[in-house]
Amino acid sequence: MITDQLYEKYLSSLLEGERKACIRIVQELVDQQIDLKHLYTDLFQKSLYTVGELWEANRITVAREHLATAITEGLLNLAYPQVFQGEKTSGNIVISCTANEYHQVGGKMVADIFEMNGWNGYFLGANTPVDQLLSFVDEVNPDLVGLSLSIYFNSQSLQNCIEAINADFPSQDIIVGGQAFRWGGKDILKQYRSVDFISTLEDLEKQIKDA
Amino acid sequence: MKAKLFETARQLKQPPVEAAREFSAQLNKLAEAGNLIIAAREDLDRLVGEGNLSMAEDNNRNFARFMESMFLNYNPEIFTETVLWVFRAYRSHGFQTTYWAANLDIWVEMLKKEVTPDTYTALYPFYNWLIINVPIFTKLTDE
Repeated sequence: MITDQLYEKYLSSLLEGERKACIRIVQELVDQQIDLKHLYTDLFQKSLYTVGELWEANRITVAREHLATAITEGLLNLAYPQVFQGEKTSGNIVISCTANEYHQVGGKMVADIFEMNGWNGYFLGANTPVDQLLSFVDEVNPDLVGLSLSIYFNSQSLQNCIEAINADFPSQDIIVGGQAFRWGGKDILKQYRSVDFISTLEDLEKQIKDA
Repeated sequence: MKAKLFETARQLKQPPVEAAREFSAQLNKLAEAGNLIIAAREDLDRLVGEGNLSMAEDNNRNFARFMESMFLNYNPEIFTETVLWVFRAYRSHGFQTTYWAANLDIWVEMLKKEVTPDTYTALYPFYNWLIINVPIFTKLTDE
């Protein structure tokens, strides 16, 4: 269980760049069989939002923000024995950040949530050029494509990407999510028949289980 | 005060797609030209804080792309909230509110010269809204 005290200890270690202390905390939680979705939302996601707010208030540097992000990405691997256990029979998903989008942790978490729920996930990472994404989709023929957008000014890249997928693979289902939509903007997706918006990791898991 | 800001933002009209496309075609060039103009100012350090030139340049490139996204899909809530976020974050890093007044004037002058009159007429209200509301952004983001 992630108590306030444990969270504060983790956050402080993360901000100090103390990777070993972070590993210890996360490994203990994994060993206690914590629900991985809680680990992702209540520890990783919550702490990274706080890190972003601390940068915004000029209480930490960009370097420290990047350090915290890099440590978090490494910590996700500690959950992988649980993430990747079991048969992957539910389908295949390709998850990617759009071109010019460099914030990839959210997309990586989404890929893991699918894996936890029996999907086979291909996570392509940050700043994926549209032509490369199309080639990969052609190669693996996924059941679903997930696109992550963290910064709203990249919304044109997202729309270009959706339109390119629609043109080459008209029946391809797509999901979209990310911090870019925290103040709204999901209306831009309504014009695309095959696109669903996912607002949170909780909603994502609920939709996967209900599908 | 914030409610009033939203109300006036909602009165801005989505530019015609031709105007938005013309802006898209020019935005990188304009952002770089604007960066050269502001970098040449003698009061630069006072405007953006010492050592913050590259942050100002990045902000200006992002600003151009953000305005493109607004011109193509205008959303008053995102417009207002994002501007307030930028004010809060960049002020805490040493940017003075006079930076936005200076930078927005640069954008208006560049657009006047570089885009067609119809496009300028469609886009100017957005910059004007930002310029006249600088004191409100400032008040709302005061510590």
